Amino acid sequence: MNKTHAPNIAGVVLIAFFMAFPFVYTADDYPYIMHILITGFFYAILTASWTMLAGYAGQFSFGHMGFMAVGAYTTALFSHYIYLTPEPTNFCTEFAFGDGYLIVLDPIGVTSSTLKQDCLRQAMEVWGDGVAVTPMPVWLGITLGTLMGGIFGFLIGTLVLPLRAAYLALFTLGFSEILRAAISAEIAVTRGQAGIELPALFQDGVTLFGKHFDKTDKLPPYFIMFFLLLFCLGLLGLLAKSKFGLFVRALREDQDAAAALGVNTTRYKVMVFVITSMIAAGAGATMAHYVGIISPNNLVILQMSLIVAMAVIGGVENIVAAAVGAILLEFLLEMLRNSFQIGPVEIDMTVWRLVFFGVLLMLTLRFSPKGLLVPTIDYFLRGHIGKETVAKRGQNKPDDEPGSEAVN
Amino acid sequence: MEFSGIFWGVIGWMIFWGVTGSIVSRRVYLHKDLDTSNTGLVGSMLGAATGPVGLAFLWMKTPEITTRMMLFPSLATVAVFMLTFSISDPGNLCVTNGSFVASQISNGLIIGIIYGFMALGLTLIFSILGVVSFAHGEFYMIGGMITYFFTTVWFPELGPIVGILAACISTFILGAVFERVFLTPMYTGKVDRPVEYGILITFGLAFTLQYFIQATVGANPVKAKRFFDFPKVRLPSAEDPWLIKTSRGNMELFDTISISNPRFTAAVMCILVFLALMYFLRRTWTGKALRAVSLDRDAAAIAGINPNKMNMLAFALGSMIAALAGAMLVQAFSWLPQVGAIPAMRSFVIVVLGGLGSIPGAFLGGVIVGLVEAAGTGCIPNAQKAASYIPAYGMIVLTLTLLLRPTGLLGRKYASGTHGKV
Repeated sequence: MNKTHAPNIAGVVLIAFFMAFPFVYTADDYPYIMHILITGFFYAILTASWTMLAGYAGQFSFGHMGFMAVGAYTTALFSHYIYLTPEPTNFCTEFAFGDGYLIVLDPIGVTSSTLKQDCLRQAMEVWGDGVAVTPMPVWLGITLGTLMGGIFGFLIGTLVLPLRAAYLALFTLGFSEILRAAISAEIAVTRGQAGIELPALFQDGVTLFGKHFDKTDKLPPYFIMFFLLLFCLGLLGLLAKSKFGLFVRALREDQDAAAALGVNTTRYKVMVFVITSMIAAGAGATMAHYVGIISPNNLVILQMSLIVAMAVIGGVENIVAAAVGAILLEFLLEMLRNSFQIGPVEIDMTVWRLVFFGVLLMLTLRFSPKGLLVPTIDYFLRGHIGKETVAKRGQNKPDDEPGSEAVN
Repeated sequence: MEFSGIFWGVIGWMIFWGVTGSIVSRRVYLHKDLDTSNTGLVGSMLGAATGPVGLAFLWMKTPEITTRMMLFPSLATVAVFMLTFSISDPGNLCVTNGSFVASQISNGLIIGIIYGFMALGLTLIFSILGVVSFAHGEFYMIGGMITYFFTTVWFPELGPIVGILAACISTFILGAVFERVFLTPMYTGKVDRPVEYGILITFGLAFTLQYFIQATVGANPVKAKRFFDFPKVRLPSAEDPWLIKTSRGNMELFDTISISNPRFTAAVMCILVFLALMYFLRRTWTGKALRAVSLDRDAAAIAGINPNKMNMLAFALGSMIAALAGAMLVQAFSWLPQVGAIPAMRSFVIVVLGGLGSIPGAFLGGVIVGLVEAAGTGCIPNAQKAASYIPAYGMIVLTLTLLLRPTGLLGRKYASGTHGKV
């Protein structure tokens, strides 16, 4: 068997493993492990798309978590404020929509659970039980969130991407900070630091293969997140292999040279930025529905740093390696959570693990810039090529006289 | 706001003519084969301030664009904006109360000087290394933390100068060591894309430092005690304190402007260090060598300056400046491991506004951002929201700068030898 196939085989084995895992694993901590895996897939999506942006296109955005939040908050606000009813409420802002009415709730924030202020509840009291209020479908919210991420990405990209690399990093860092400030400040709409609740992915449960799963069951979101990850990896892989990927890599290596050869550099930079932002927003929206709550704390720089660290440690120039690295590191982070004591000093591992993570990030960048996983893959992919080259050079040794290079 | 219709109407009008002006002016100048590098700024500012009248003049005459032509329309735009605001919100404190405006302006100036000082470190690093240090806010935070521990916890009897010196020395060493260990591959060609490497590695440093401090110090806010008290002064006389009046923690000028002690000492210290730094950069051999490297690396190397040593000095010095700003402000604000993020962002804004790599630009930008923030927090009707949007004012400034004049106010067209390129 050829060594070149080893990474592909490893990939198939990995996919098979993750497909089979929820059915095989039956220990007591099943929900916990499943939750870590779902979070791991989520980070893997974010890391893979960030890798596309940073590693392939050379555009360093520190606003990936910001786009994630754009997606999550779009779907949260959408599901929170918009409903369908068959009859007019006469209390809320409402539009005729097909046979029924599209209801837009008033943004009254934390107090919206009190009956008097919530216009929809007032209407429901008048109606009694006869009228069914339909919440918006979850998939529509996620789609809207994804689109909103794309719109924000387009606006920021067209503003900043014609400039040099540092500006994008600066601006996106500022963007996520502003977004956090805005979400925390607009308490009436977003409920501020308290966070806004979302319906579960399958609010009424779902029946798969004749088996009913409750809305708190981990299996449906596990597969949704896993297939989303596979889809994103496939999409990014296709893009990377296509002409688009070639252009993007060309402008990473030398923007002026790429422009001189006819690549519209700004357009391609904006395109890759919009695509990766949409992926981040979509993943964020899905994850928010799975977790059930989104708060501005998800936006802190720490989260962005985790994605950067995962991408760099996995391998910033290889999408799959970055994704696998993200899942592994998420596991590692969870394992390192337990604090312990050395003599009288208590080591608070919840913080120290992040310090180790940062040191690992810096050391990886400094001493193994391709990441820790990619060299391993390269060893299998190119190991035999290296040997062949050495062997060939060895054969040619006697001819290698001075001056013969010009002839070759 | 009383007449918000007027306000938003005028703003819409200004934006419309600003956008039209910037797009069409560029076309017009391009059509006549003239220099278009600043037409966007002039067109938009002229359009925003004067509407179609000024634009028609600009398009017909197409005069050569001078600094004056950029300055006056911009000032006029600001004036129109302020006028609109005062007409549409006549009851606002910013419009009715002169002494409130005076204190806001003086506070904006003072805090702006400190901001500018901090941004100076960033611009120094950028002009020599071509790297935007994302760990700038963390050095600021560490400077404050060390000063706090020296002056309040460990050696309260030694006085603040020792604490500040300790903060400066330790961050200088930290910066120098980091540069030697992690940034040297950038100049020796060991990494393929030095600019990106610089962004990532300083980001990693920021992350590590922040959580290291959180792990060792904890996440509770701390605050240093005041470095020194004002002497009790009343001028011209004790009965009639209209010129200057001080208490231990506060100073009042002209009976209207109130300046708090920590901010005042911080600003004075920043100005003193700025002057010392200017002397160092302009009069000493090392300082001249630093500036030479920032202008042209290769020429400096030919003249016998080791650019790599200058890299180390610049990074250490820039980090030390951030730490000094933190050391001065730890007596004014409460201090957390996360405290560096917003000042760092503000420094980025200031540096871009002033022009990446320009030292006077950093100071000018700092003062402008300080004034904008003071105006924002003081004038926006809903005070609670105005305070929570503080980082947003800087971002608005940044967006406008990037749209209108990406090189910044005093930016050089050509910055920093090898690493500054796109």
